[in-house]
Formats: sequence, structure tokens, C-alpha cells
Amino acid sequence: MPAAFAVTSLQKRFRTGFGRTESVALDGVDLEVPRGEAFGLIGPNGAGKTTFIKCLLAIAHPDAGTVELLGGRPEDPRSRARVGYLPERLALPGAWTPRGFLGSVARLKGLAWDRAATDALLARVGLADAGERKIRGFSKGMRQRLGLAAALVGEPDLLVLDEPTDGVDPLGRVEIRQLLTGELERGATLFINSHLLSETERICTRIGILSRGRLVRSGPLEVLTAVQQRWRVRFAAWPPPAAESLEALGFELSEPGLWEIAAPDEVALNRALDGARAAGALLLALERASRDLEDVLTEALAAGAA
Amino acid sequence: MTSFAVALDLLREAAARRWFLALGLALTGLLLLLLTSLRLEVVDGALAASRLFGQPLWHDIQAADVALRPVYRVASQIVFWGGLAFGVLSCADFAPALLSPGRIEHLLSLPVRRWELLVGTFLGVLVLAAGGAVYASTGLVVVLGSKTGVWTGWPVVSAVLAAIAFGGVYAGMLAVTVWVRSAALSAAAGASLVVVGLLATHRRTLLDLMGAGIGRTVFAALTAVVPPLGRMADAAGALASSAPLAPGGLLRLILGTLAFAAALLAVAVWRFERRDF
Repeated sequence: MPAAFAVTSLQKRFRTGFGRTESVALDGVDLEVPRGEAFGLIGPNGAGKTTFIKCLLAIAHPDAGTVELLGGRPEDPRSRARVGYLPERLALPGAWTPRGFLGSVARLKGLAWDRAATDALLARVGLADAGERKIRGFSKGMRQRLGLAAALVGEPDLLVLDEPTDGVDPLGRVEIRQLLTGELERGATLFINSHLLSETERICTRIGILSRGRLVRSGPLEVLTAVQQRWRVRFAAWPPPAAESLEALGFELSEPGLWEIAAPDEVALNRALDGARAAGALLLALERASRDLEDVLTEALAAGAA
Repeated sequence: MTSFAVALDLLREAAARRWFLALGLALTGLLLLLLTSLRLEVVDGALAASRLFGQPLWHDIQAADVALRPVYRVASQIVFWGGLAFGVLSCADFAPALLSPGRIEHLLSLPVRRWELLVGTFLGVLVLAAGGAVYASTGLVVVLGSKTGVWTGWPVVSAVLAAIAFGGVYAGMLAVTVWVRSAALSAAAGASLVVVGLLATHRRTLLDLMGAGIGRTVFAALTAVVPPLGRMADAAGALASSAPLAPGGLLRLILGTLAFAAALLAVAVWRFERRDF
């Protein structure tokens, strides 16, 4: 599958102050995101996530490395015409209406745009009734929705969203998630930078962890969160399994009714399960044990710091 | 083409600002006031009597077109200097707003080249300045023309000259903003350029008065490149009042101002292309 974007050895340093103090924002990042994927970039504040996006879209100039965006250069307007971007803190013209703003974005994208298209887009982001209201009266959540609508103008091939659900209420987050799922089904690639790990986990299929300007982990979500050689087993509550027997077989109670077991291979796992059944336990469910994204992030950051 | 879209957006933004609404209303009100309160009696092409709010203005009987010349000259000076002052103050924050965090990132992510953004902003401000100046002068020509039967297009041409002069000043304001995003600094740069432009008008006299030294060298260098705004204002006044004007001199002034604006715009684009946001 062709890449939506690929960066190689990306480096960016910032020089600040009269002493020209240098800080490293990106330190040799390599990343390729296939088309049609939902990729989430996570990491602590100051890890370089926003700088990465800025280098990707030619908003900032990398000091070294290469960036390929949708098969072209990010400096080429033809490449950027196929990208929808929602910045972290989008500043909107307060005196304008959403219709006016989206019309302006469409004009700058060189699209033939009409009121029907604007209204359809506003309805998609839940602003159907606010088309003629002045933006200055919008709440943070409404502004975020309008920013998302602006990113969706022209059905872009790549959506780059920096904190897309920031300031949006829980119900609105569900709506945005559904909208982004729809974009994925359309064939768009999603690149999401978010500090809300649960949101990232729900939308993205691939994850990258950025720490101190370096990509310390990258890969499919299920691989990153999987715990090798560990299984989660649920037994029926009645008849109650003999805890001593299960513990003797190597099972550990993680929460009521749920046990975990370490097994080096399938043969060892089945041997333990056979032992449990022989002890009277009735098997209800079996799954590979996994961690949540927070655990993965914590571990990756700790490994990066070491 | 994209630059025109950027310029159009700037004009829409200006239309929503109180400064420009107030200017439009003030100009319209002034013209309506003139239309309703100025009485001019023209007999056989001569201005026989004139009254403003019922008070007589001129006592001499003279040809209407001759009588209107000083009026147009004064009006052109008001449009020129008033327009420059208003433009410097009211347009100072267009570029800083364009470069504000959260907005510039979004604009740069669109299929717009960086130079198109700057040129579009410059064009938008230029159209705004020209629109204001032409509206005021056309309104005056219509009011006085309808009362005297004397119609002339020169005051409107003079207004375009004022807009060109402001173009030179605004290019400097834009260049400063690309380095430091500050409306106050942009306005200060504009005001400084107007002052230096005034001094440049009397360059030779002032240089003769100055002793040798670094100050004189700096002054000589600055006033050599900044358009002599006083001379442009004089030319605008002469045009508006249909006074004779050396065509070569006017052309040199216009080309010099355009070259100055183009050079500053090129510097601004050079810096803007290299800046990170």
C-alpha cells in the first residue's frame, strides 16, 4: 500500500534568545504511514508532536531529513490541496460566519464551492443551526467543530488533526469519532495527535510514541498493547472454581471471576486449562492479556529516559 | 489568482471592522452634509454666489472651474495626509492578525504559496486604501459637479496617487511585521516612513544644514530610498486642481514609489519564505 506520508531522519532544532540557546525538537524521526490507516501520535508535552506536524506540512522547515507527502513534496501546493489540517489552537475570524469561513477555505483550496456543500458540512459537524452566527460567539467546542469542518473541506486524502476533541463535550467526542470513522471508510488517512489516550486508542489502528524528539515506539495498536505469553481467563461463577487448585496450576486472580496465567506456548496453556477444568472450573472466555495505551506510553517513556 | 482570494478575505475582514465602518459612515455623512448645506449659484459658467449653512463663502465672481481648484487642492491634501494617517493606524494589525498563532498554521497548510499570502495581504490593503480615497474624492466631484456643472476626473486621479504613496508605506509596515509580529511596531514603522518621506522631500536643504558624520550619512541613505511623500502630496494637489505638472517628474515619483514598495515586499517575502511557524 502506498504511503500517505513518509519522513526519514527528520531533524528540527530551535534557536531562541540572544544567546541562541538550541533545543532539539525532532531528533532523527523515521515514520511511514500507509494510506487508509488511522495513525495516532502520542507523547508527553514538549515531545515534538506539533513540530512533527508542522514539518510534515511545510509550516516549519526541517534542519535535516526528507518528507514525502502524498507522493509529493509538502512545499508543493498540489500535495497540500489533498490535506485537511486542524491546528491545536485554531484562531478563527470572530467577525465571520461559519459559512463565510468555510467558503474562504474552499476558495483558497481552489474548489468550486456552494452553499449546499457548506450546509452539508456544517450539518456533519453538528453546526447546522449556526451557519449564519458570528464565530466570536462560539464556545470552544463549537470552534473545534468548525475547525474540523474546515479540515474536511474538499474531502482530503489525508486528515492531520492536532487534538481534534479538545474542548468538546463527551457526546460531541462520540460524534467526532463517528465522523472520523466515516472518513476512514471513505478511504482517507487519519493522523491524530492527541493527549487523550483513550480517544486515540478508540480511533487509531497504529500508534507512534514520541519522546524528546525521538520516535521510541511505533506499530499496530494490538501489537504495542499485547503482553507476550500472558493470557486472561474467565471461569463461570457457579460452581465456584477452587482457588487453591487454580493457583497451584499457575493462575493468578486479577479481579473477581477473572484470572491471568503466564504460558510460554499453546501446549502449556492448554495443559493449565485442562487442569483447571479437571478441578471443576468451567471456562467462559479466553483472550490474550493486553495493556492499555497509558501503560505502553509509561513503559516507553521510562525506557527512553533510561 | 490565490493572492486575489487572500485580498478578498482581507476586504471582508475590513468590512467587519468598526474602524472602516466608521470611516465609510463619516465620509458618506460629510458628503451628504455638503450636498444638502452647500449652495452654489452658477451663471454662464461663473460662480456668482456660494453659501454653506446659509453663510456666504466667496464674494468674488469668478469662473466656476477656477473657483473649485483650491477646493480640490485642499481636499486632495486631506485625502493624502489624512488617508496616510488613517491607513497607518487602521491597517497596522492586518498582517499581525494574519500571522497570529493558530491562523498562520492553518493558512500555510492550505494550497497557498507563502508569497501569495503576503502579496494578497498587500493587494487587499492597497485596494482598501485606494477604495477609501477614490470614494471620498469621487463623492466630492459628484457633489460639486452636480452643483456647478463642472466635471473633472483629476481629483480621482490624485486620490489614486495617494493610494500609491500609502502602498510604499504599507510595504514597509508589512516587512517589519514579518520579522516581528506586532501591530504597534507595524504602526510605528508606518509613521516613521511617513516622517522620513516628509524629510526626504526637503533632502537637499536638510543635508546642507547637517554637519559631516554618521548621522548625515544615515539620513542621506534613508532619504535617498524613501519616496518623497511631500512632493507626492504636492503632485496630488496639483493634479486635483488641474495645475500644470511636469509629466516626467510625476512618472519618476510613481515609479520610484512602486520600486520602493516592490523592494520592501521582496524583502518581506524572502524572510517569510524562511520563517518557521
